[in-house]
Amino acid sequence: MFKSIFVCGLLLLTSSPLYATERIDIVGSTTVLPVVSQAATLYHQQHPNITITVSGGGSGVGIASIIQGTAQIGMASRNTTEEEQAKLNGKVDNIIIAADAVAVAVSKAVYESGIHALSVEQIADIYRGKVRNWKDVGGLDARIVVIDKEASRGTRHVFAKAILGNKHARAAGASIISGSNNEEQAIISHSNAAIGMLSNAWLNNKVRGIDVIVKGTRISPTIDHVRDNTYPLARGLHILLPKHASPAAKNFVQFLLSEQGQSIVKQVGYLPIE
Amino acid sequence: MKYMLVLLAIPALLLPAACLIYIVYQALPALDVDLIFGSDAVVIGVNSVGQALWSQISGSLLMMSLACLLAMPMAASIALFHAFWASHKQKKLLTSILQVLQGIPPIVYGLCGLVVLVHLLHWGISLAAGAVILSIIILPLLASNTIHALERIPLEQTESALSLGLSKVSVITRVWMPQAWPSFLTGLLLSMARALSETAPILFTATVFSGITWPDSIFSPVTSLQTHIFYLAQEGSNEQAIHTAWASAVVLLTLVLIFSLTALYLRRYERIS
Amino acid sequence: MNKQRLLLPIVLLGCIAALLGGLSLFWFLTSNAWNFFQSFGISALWQTEWYPYEDLYGFLPAILGTLWALCIAMLVAIPCGLAAAIVSSELLPNTWQSIARLSMEILAGIPSVVYGLIGLWVLLPFLQEHLNLLTGHSLLAAGLILSLMILPTIMLMAQDALDSVSQEQREAALNLGLDWNQLLIRILLPQAWPGIRSGLLLALGRGLGETMAVMLVVGSLDRIPQPFYNILEPAQTLTSRIGREMGEAAFGSMHFAALITCGLVLAVFATIISLSAQRKGSIA
Repeated sequence: MFKSIFVCGLLLLTSSPLYATERIDIVGSTTVLPVVSQAATLYHQQHPNITITVSGGGSGVGIASIIQGTAQIGMASRNTTEEEQAKLNGKVDNIIIAADAVAVAVSKAVYESGIHALSVEQIADIYRGKVRNWKDVGGLDARIVVIDKEASRGTRHVFAKAILGNKHARAAGASIISGSNNEEQAIISHSNAAIGMLSNAWLNNKVRGIDVIVKGTRISPTIDHVRDNTYPLARGLHILLPKHASPAAKNFVQFLLSEQGQSIVKQVGYLPIE
Repeated sequence: MKYMLVLLAIPALLLPAACLIYIVYQALPALDVDLIFGSDAVVIGVNSVGQALWSQISGSLLMMSLACLLAMPMAASIALFHAFWASHKQKKLLTSILQVLQGIPPIVYGLCGLVVLVHLLHWGISLAAGAVILSIIILPLLASNTIHALERIPLEQTESALSLGLSKVSVITRVWMPQAWPSFLTGLLLSMARALSETAPILFTATVFSGITWPDSIFSPVTSLQTHIFYLAQEGSNEQAIHTAWASAVVLLTLVLIFSLTALYLRRYERIS
Repeated sequence: MNKQRLLLPIVLLGCIAALLGGLSLFWFLTSNAWNFFQSFGISALWQTEWYPYEDLYGFLPAILGTLWALCIAMLVAIPCGLAAAIVSSELLPNTWQSIARLSMEILAGIPSVVYGLIGLWVLLPFLQEHLNLLTGHSLLAAGLILSLMILPTIMLMAQDALDSVSQEQREAALNLGLDWNQLLIRILLPQAWPGIRSGLLLALGRGLGETMAVMLVVGSLDRIPQPFYNILEPAQTLTSRIGREMGEAAFGSMHFAALITCGLVLAVFATIISLSAQRKGSIA
């Protein structure tokens, strides 16, 4: 027993500062994550003495971590809510590093059955539970798998505000709750009748984005429509940087805004800031 | 009735083999040396995923060994208290408390650790928080195993040793340790396996998705195999990520089974001798 | 001797550390839950709406979901596990018996997140295809994956209990002219019942606290199944709610207190289960 205590103490001592590196913990939105993690890898190659950890969890988690001080940089794919702003107390800089479109995504089978566009009202009806079958909006005869997201997720706030009118609006028609973009992408691609909300970078052959009809005009979820401000579900991708953050953290955010960082933004499929 | 029972039993008896074979089968495309020692940190992206599991493996093992080192002295003291000083009533109470603690879901411990260690003590998401939480989770298991190991030693031996004038310390080192080490080790190995397979309690308290290869202090977050599987499991339409997830599962399973099967072997060896 | 005098303080120190840990856990759970109940009242436990943004914290959907998942798991695992134990302990030759034991012990060692992987990529597509479900995420999926996880506990404990029934009793019973079925029902099962029972309760406890696997397959929809026995729809359990929302609830908020109350409810259930396992165990 004495030995074990001794070994324990020794291990604790030796495992603390082995070599002096600085660490930046980044937490938050899974939409911002691909950009930041690729930038972090690149940045670490250029500055080996700085380690950057990146975790997902969603915008709510990112903002909560900044409030609680468990992370140095937060990622969010939405604006902060009033309660969150009150807790952040103006001590945090909210920096937009990119913009993207929240696409209304459907399964391949739904897309191929002829649903290439839905109006805002139709989407709202689907999420409110008034429309439950694809044939009611002109598609195949199958029950709609309505994918909702966890309540604090950035994508959900943007989607609910644009479609249902309130960012906290409830979706009575939801048939399943998903978390990260990846999880939702998986559910849509394995289903034949799903509808969900996804950042446009996650669209692929099995997960198709459909056009949104706003007051008679049909707008597709592309970066061009985000650029000219016509797409109704466009949003900025935010980085939350506390004002008292370390120089290293500030430098990394500058790196994200630099040409190199913005080229990653483009490569992932988002709209770089100009 | 016999046949009905056999019919019911067949799926139960075949399932383990089926599970193992399926896991390995799914993992095959990703299982090679590169998986563990390959180049580092090509992680994440909308559709790309890293290969090297080395940092995850070392993170898991590090957290496990720290947890065991923390839990061992506590478990030993509880067992010694139980053996030397506790009255009959206290003994009963102690074992009953240990059983209750063992039954409490690990996520509850994780939740408490999140508040107390990560937030109140400002440790942040860290190896230390994960290790302490895991040590509390395995403590009841380890303590009751140690108590049982001591109880299995014939009482006369201890009493005669004590009456010969041996001190308590020498009873421990000269009489108990040589006899009961296999059962101590069994308990320890089982706790290690347990610590290695817990996922939920460390998900929000100790681990990050990427960026750490070897934690440079105990207050640094780590990556772990368990949470890595969890993240990868959700990487829907990315074939390679799913295969990597299955491969990580094989690696984790191998590690856990090394510990638990050694424990079982020791237990059998002990029964025979 | 210096060592002699050190022993007692060190032992006491270790015990006090452990005791402090346990007590602070208990204090922490109850004080947070107390805050929560003061603001929302005990009735939150049986209200049906959980929507943190509107300060609605009803526990019923998750509690009901937990109970349903456990019921399904026990319904599947008890017959299979007991049958496997009886077959392996009474019918199989010795070598096969130890192989069966070993494989069950391996099954018991599989970490829960790996079960989650199996559930997500094997069970869900299977259910989706064969039961014509939307996505497969459902209470049924959660129950089935749980049954797989608790099967080894039930089987191993039952087999231990059956093995400990003495050979003379079996022979005496057979000499009296009982056939195998009667032997099983009149002698073996009653004799082994205390062991089997504590195995069942242990399994129940394990199933109650399981998080990762359930979280990945249950669908996390905070709604009471419509109608309430509909196990084919996504639902929510206590553990999966904690797992999903633990990160996003800001520390100190009501939402966080509500999650901790979920933890307390789980801990209370678990304590009841393990206490009842102890009480009956010592009588029999």
